[in-house]
Amino acid sequence: METIVEENIDPNDLKKFEGLYNEQARRGHISEKTQFDYAWCLIRSRYVSDMHKGIALLEDLMRIAKDDLSQRDYLFYIAVGFVRIKEYERALKYTEAIRKIEPNNRQAQQLDGYIKAKMKKDGLLGMAIVGGAVLALGGLVGATIAAVKKK
Amino acid sequence: MAAGPYNYSYIFKYIIIGDMGVGKSCLLHQFTEKKFMADCPHTIGVEFGTRIIEVASQKIKLQIWDTAGQERFRAVTRSYYRGAAGALMVYDITRRSTYNHLSSWLTDARNLTNPNTVIFLIGNKCDLDAQRDVTYEEAKQFAEENGLMFLECSAKTGENVEDAFLDTAKKIYQNIQDGSLDLNAAESGVQHKPATPRNPITTDQPPNKENCSC
Repeated sequence: METIVEENIDPNDLKKFEGLYNEQARRGHISEKTQFDYAWCLIRSRYVSDMHKGIALLEDLMRIAKDDLSQRDYLFYIAVGFVRIKEYERALKYTEAIRKIEPNNRQAQQLDGYIKAKMKKDGLLGMAIVGGAVLALGGLVGATIAAVKKK
Repeated sequence: MAAGPYNYSYIFKYIIIGDMGVGKSCLLHQFTEKKFMADCPHTIGVEFGTRIIEVASQKIKLQIWDTAGQERFRAVTRSYYRGAAGALMVYDITRRSTYNHLSSWLTDARNLTNPNTVIFLIGNKCDLDAQRDVTYEEAKQFAEENGLMFLECSAKTGENVEDAFLDTAKKIYQNIQDGSLDLNAAESGVQHKPATPRNPITTDQPPNKENCSC
């Protein structure tokens, strides 16, 4: 799952699908497929602003999605988008929504597991940083006390 | 392997393509996990799997991109064809329409990969012989006319699944050995990993992100 989530798009591919999207936008009608293609590319961009834009386009598609299959596909990539911008709690809401449509969807289960592992790791890392700070502070206090005692 | 920072000497990139429901993900799963997935939902976008195999006593890591057959994904999944050393093109022997669409998949594969990409045709679900809709002979002829390797497989029973993935790798390896595949070309789909360690003290532990102290 890591490969799927962390994979970045070739900028030329992004440019190509952006061009198709913009052309349809100029003509006044953007097809669901063109919007999806562009959104899927955007969330795989290196830039966070593109990822946000991709998520917004997918959320927009969710409002018009007619069948479970397309809803499931949009939900999955919204989840991937939120993982990429490190909004894990929000990402989990979307993997849960997929579970309601396809309870046994393996990709969604794997993504869910990946997100939870990330959260755990980040949580531990966070604690390690706080822990480190406490130790450093303790050291400082200890040094100060020692310095005071010397006097 | 005792020598080298990697436990394999080559990486080959594969793609799996073909119509929706022909069993692409089940073939991948059978190959990587040696299990059959019943009631597998349609793939969302792409899936990724790896397995290390051995060809001519060389360890080769296969990096396999399994593309969704849904039309919705077709445009964007084309970008995954780039730089593939092997392409497994799958149809379902019980559904003629999936066979009839092969020429369109083949056109994509030819246009989007390099001339040395090994294309392997797989007729999946050969365990369902009673429901057969495409004869072996017909598909064999199609494969010969188009210079493709060909096997009928069953992701369910596992029949010929290993062979399809391994024969593709053998062909790629052969292309490297006879010089027809240039490893330095940007999109050969093959990466060569140094077999001898730069530093003889280096152990054979693969680089592990988890142990990184950063």
